[in-house]
Amino acid sequence: MAAGLKHLSNALATPDQLSNSSSSIDNVPSDLETSIRCAGAQLTQAAGVLLHLSQDIIAQAVVIFTRFWLGADGGSLRIYSVKDVSAAALYLTAKLSFQPTSPRSVLNVYTFLLSQNASPLWFVRQSGAPETPPSPETYILSEGGYQSARLVLLRTETIILRTLGFDTHVALPHTIALTYLQTLARCGSTGHSTPQCGTALTPASLCHSPTKCPRRGCHLPRVTRGGVKLVDGEWWEVFDVDREELGFLVVGMKSTEGFMRAEVNQWKNKAIPMAVDEVDAEIERRRMMEEGE
Amino acid sequence: MSSRWATDDPETEAIIAQQKREKEQKRRAKAEKQRLEDANKAQARDATNGELGPPKKRRRLSNDPDAHPNDAEVVKIEKEQKNQSTLLRFPVGEWGPCRHVDNFERLNHIEEGSYGWVSRAKDISTGEIVALKKLKLDNSPDGFPVTGLREIQTLLEARHQNVVYLREVVMGNKMDDVYLVMDFHEHDLKALLDEMREPFLPSEIKTVLLQVVGGLEFLHSQWIMHRDLKTSNLLMNNRGELKIADFGMARYFGDPPPKLTQLVVTLWYRAPELLLGADKYGTEIDMWSIGCIFGELLTKEPLLQGKNEVDQVSKIFALTGPPNSETWPGFRSLPNAKSLRLPSTSAPPSAGNPPLLPRTRFPYLTNAGLSLMSGLLALNPASRPTAKQCLDHQYFKEDPRPKPREMFPTFPSKAGMEKRRRHHTPEAPKRGQEAPELDFAGVFGGAPGGDTGEAGAGFTLRLG
Repeated sequence: MAAGLKHLSNALATPDQLSNSSSSIDNVPSDLETSIRCAGAQLTQAAGVLLHLSQDIIAQAVVIFTRFWLGADGGSLRIYSVKDVSAAALYLTAKLSFQPTSPRSVLNVYTFLLSQNASPLWFVRQSGAPETPPSPETYILSEGGYQSARLVLLRTETIILRTLGFDTHVALPHTIALTYLQTLARCGSTGHSTPQCGTALTPASLCHSPTKCPRRGCHLPRVTRGGVKLVDGEWWEVFDVDREELGFLVVGMKSTEGFMRAEVNQWKNKAIPMAVDEVDAEIERRRMMEEGE
Repeated sequence: MSSRWATDDPETEAIIAQQKREKEQKRRAKAEKQRLEDANKAQARDATNGELGPPKKRRRLSNDPDAHPNDAEVVKIEKEQKNQSTLLRFPVGEWGPCRHVDNFERLNHIEEGSYGWVSRAKDISTGEIVALKKLKLDNSPDGFPVTGLREIQTLLEARHQNVVYLREVVMGNKMDDVYLVMDFHEHDLKALLDEMREPFLPSEIKTVLLQVVGGLEFLHSQWIMHRDLKTSNLLMNNRGELKIADFGMARYFGDPPPKLTQLVVTLWYRAPELLLGADKYGTEIDMWSIGCIFGELLTKEPLLQGKNEVDQVSKIFALTGPPNSETWPGFRSLPNAKSLRLPSTSAPPSAGNPPLLPRTRFPYLTNAGLSLMSGLLALNPASRPTAKQCLDHQYFKEDPRPKPREMFPTFPSKAGMEKRRRHHTPEAPKRGQEAPELDFAGVFGGAPGGDTGEAGAGFTLRLG
């Protein structure tokens, strides 16, 4: 890889990795896999916020998390729990950043977020965050619980590293998009697009999966959302993206909202499985339903 | 002498010149017209093709091996698009799980360092000889050691001709068996210097130094600090190429710099600000190490061989003279400087900042060389040149010029043989150690290790 381009380029998923997954080999229905991965990304984001990590670290963790599940050589949802991989990805990414965090903090946050009594996450606790804060006893991590959870966290960290061949490099699009917009502003062609960029780069759009192979060119065209006319001419060429690719991405991103609505709707009565045994139970439940029909 | 055909008449000459100019202008106009026409054509074609523009060459996006488009067609399309703006195809990497270490046949040990042991090995599938470095993963309470992670991360991203090439990371049977597979190099600079009868020639020193600083300049430009530069971490092959290795201490830095541990860099190569306990430091610490390496290249002996931190500081001050608020403003506020008792008669105010080192220590060095050395070993980090400035230094431009790499002498391989490299250099500090509370009261006298009688230091001793 050319050295000068490392901030612009990422390792990409191969077509094989995108169309096969270890989970599907283990008979996890693909819609269930998508739901779980999406929820895992949101879990990572929420945990990162509670840990006061900066958004670039969280975004990198989400990318590492997502890469882990791709391909036949990736991790299987029937072997590794989504919550563990999410926690380990976040812990690992923070460790390599300027804001390292401790296993204890990470595990405390995850215990809270996965608590049936206290979690503010819609896919853990359907009614949303409780109105009166529950007593801390309901989401506290005991010393014994901490010791065993720590072992799992550290083991999962190594498993992620091995699965990714120790390649932890993630280039994020934010800086480039901002640089581009600043350049425009400086040229005087448009000064008002910067706030649009902020909304366009919201982390939520990182959790949808189809083009999740974090294709570097891919993230950039987000700037177009919101319909602000930026410049005349084929501005996307500045990003070395061709028009067709740009179109796919814009469509993909625009569908995020609909996808999320459908997800919320589909899972409004039960929690999305976050651990191996819950995944197994869900698959078993679906099998029973089918047989019953 | 003019030929028979040449006209001497200046008027005729002027006319000919004028004709030539006109011809040239016409030719240019024509070319411009052609260009415009082409552009128009291209535009027209774009307008008609509209959204159905032909796909450009791209990464194969289908698993179906038969799905690739007709090659001839692609070529044609590509030709057509030559005059459109071409898009840069970004270098595309992929990821996959680690291979197993059994893909390599281990040949012999090379070295054991603070971060793991290194052995020479053969890639069974290709027959290539590589260096295999096992990472030491002592059951750390924080999981995979961050030093090992940083070593892998920085090496993977620091692709440069003067940085050792990390091919891949492989794993063993146990969870904590992790190996780095790197290009194999015959020598390290420390072993070479130990074996040589005569030091390097000035031209060879420049070749070596330019490569180290060149590699370092790249690292710094990528926001990577090495933090353990020393001769035993500089590898050389028999083609005169030098590679910076052992990134066990390396890490990314930022602007403003994050708080960092002072427990970095092997003692003999450690910068004074680190010894005085600075927790904010930058790439200047690598430049200090370069100064130490420079000195070692000149004499074959490590320049500042302190027995411990206190002794190291006294050796440094013996060479440079003690700091004062002129040569190093602000050094007083460093944590360990409080116990430092400087002689009342500080070094005579010398000309220039940073002050030149005593010529007696480097008798064979040119003036330019001494000025570079004095800059690199300036007590005040802000006075040290950056790697980039270093590369532009007069020293590398004056005679004798750097020796071309191809002309570099070759040496019998140490690492290739069944013999282990043995180093007498102290090891880099271990991570997780507490930074010692250092008492420098003895730097200028009394301390048993303090080799304070150094000639030429020019200050009086004073018992704390």
